[in-house]
Amino acid sequence: MKRYARLFWLLCRASLMRQMAYRPHFFLMVCGKVIRMVLLLFFFQAVFLRIDRLGRWTFDQVLLLFATFHLVDYLISITFQRNLSYRLPELIQSGNLDSRLGLPVDPLFMASLENIDLMDFISFIPCLGLLVYALHRLGFAFTWLQALLYCLLIVNAVVFLFAVVLIIATISFWTTRSAGLARVFDDLTQVGRYPLDIFEGFWKFFFIYVLPLALISQLPSQALLGSLSPGFLLYAVTCSSLLAGIAVRFWKTGLNNYSSTSS
Amino acid sequence: MRKALLIFRLALMERSAYRVNFILEVSGGILSILIVIFLWLAVYRSSGRTELGGYSLAEMVTYLLGGGLINSFLLRTAENPEISQAIQTGSLSGLLIQPINPYWVWLLRDLAAKAFLGAIGLAGYAVVCLCLNERLVFVGEPLRLALFGTALAAAVLLQFLTFASLNLLAFWVENTYGFRFTLRVVMEVAGGAIIPLSFFPDLLQRIFAWLPFPYLVYFPMRIYLGKIESSAIIGELIGAGAWMAGLAGLNAVLWTRGLRRYTAMGD
Repeated sequence: MKRYARLFWLLCRASLMRQMAYRPHFFLMVCGKVIRMVLLLFFFQAVFLRIDRLGRWTFDQVLLLFATFHLVDYLISITFQRNLSYRLPELIQSGNLDSRLGLPVDPLFMASLENIDLMDFISFIPCLGLLVYALHRLGFAFTWLQALLYCLLIVNAVVFLFAVVLIIATISFWTTRSAGLARVFDDLTQVGRYPLDIFEGFWKFFFIYVLPLALISQLPSQALLGSLSPGFLLYAVTCSSLLAGIAVRFWKTGLNNYSSTSS
Repeated sequence: MRKALLIFRLALMERSAYRVNFILEVSGGILSILIVIFLWLAVYRSSGRTELGGYSLAEMVTYLLGGGLINSFLLRTAENPEISQAIQTGSLSGLLIQPINPYWVWLLRDLAAKAFLGAIGLAGYAVVCLCLNERLVFVGEPLRLALFGTALAAAVLLQFLTFASLNLLAFWVENTYGFRFTLRVVMEVAGGAIIPLSFFPDLLQRIFAWLPFPYLVYFPMRIYLGKIESSAIIGELIGAGAWMAGLAGLNAVLWTRGLRRYTAMGD
């Protein structure tokens, strides 16, 4: 465990050195990401200029949901998302995965964390600021237990997304290209930015039980607002754990199926 | 002209090499728009009104679908790194000895990419339109459609020129992705791709009006929906033309000065 922590730290340093090689680019990217978040906030403000509530959600609650979504989104993009969704299929296609498999570390660890995105780490800080601002607007009206559940469900959301992204990435052991599917999933996860009240009937059911994107930001926000039932809490944790188990098994099958294509 | 057609055809063939992947990417773009449409359906439901900000529900759904189509499939291509990569890797040298100016090759390749993605996008949107048939505004007036087409052509060129100028900065800086990423982020919102600009607070609307971006989505979609007077359309088209002329001039300066600085080493 200690060895992996040290290796993670080394990977962070190597990524920082690589990304800081083009300093103006690094800071422009950070600016772009912060601007995107601010403009999306303006978008929500523009929507709420016309209405008081979106379903049962007030502007302040939507702000919390939005900040939570971006918190999870940054956590995965800093760590495994691009590594698995876009880099791993390239490594499989080119055969360069061989060099990673020969290393004395778990291949899944290297495949998931080889490039740590420190640009997103810097952009993550204003996102935390936005979360604090949303909580301030809500009057910090939550208990310690609600805060604890919120943190637990954030971790749960990261585990859930890791499982789905890993399953999609593993498909490339057979197809060599899964970036298109990964992009579809990226686009789909944007559902998490909005309260699920925007959907009715089938789609609401779909995003809660079939492809439970409600796990990303809806359930953590509800937990903090004190409106999450224990049943849903149990459902969220079971769902992520099960999916993570399936994903790791699938990855091992994919890895056994891997045949190098390099010269 | 034959050379141009050949480049266009080759670029089309290149684009269609990984069809399944492209179709999946296009589906992702359509899904994003559908999510925003769901949001607006909920906004209209929550407000209990049939019209918001001068847009009926059908007009809003049409705006979002049309804006989404323009943004996802016609406006995303020129941010591709082809120009800056050619300058940075030195592959521009090979292009310079060919009997056609590389800048025109890039423009033609960009138009081919837009045509390909636009065609796939239209096919995808046709399915969506069938499902949302009752919630859409269809326009049959030839004049309005012709003006819409003109505004769309202006948008396509304006977008290419904007991103090309950033790509050409590769003659001076090592990495242009940061510039292009930031511009795309601003372009999506300030162009009106996710919401009509009239919904934003006044100050933001005034700032956006000073930029070329409203010509990309907001302007063509307002023409399509008849939200702009005929007399104002001419003025706006002149504005778009002025931006295009300005950016084309900037591109010409960057290209000629950049070429003077350009060096490449082979192995």
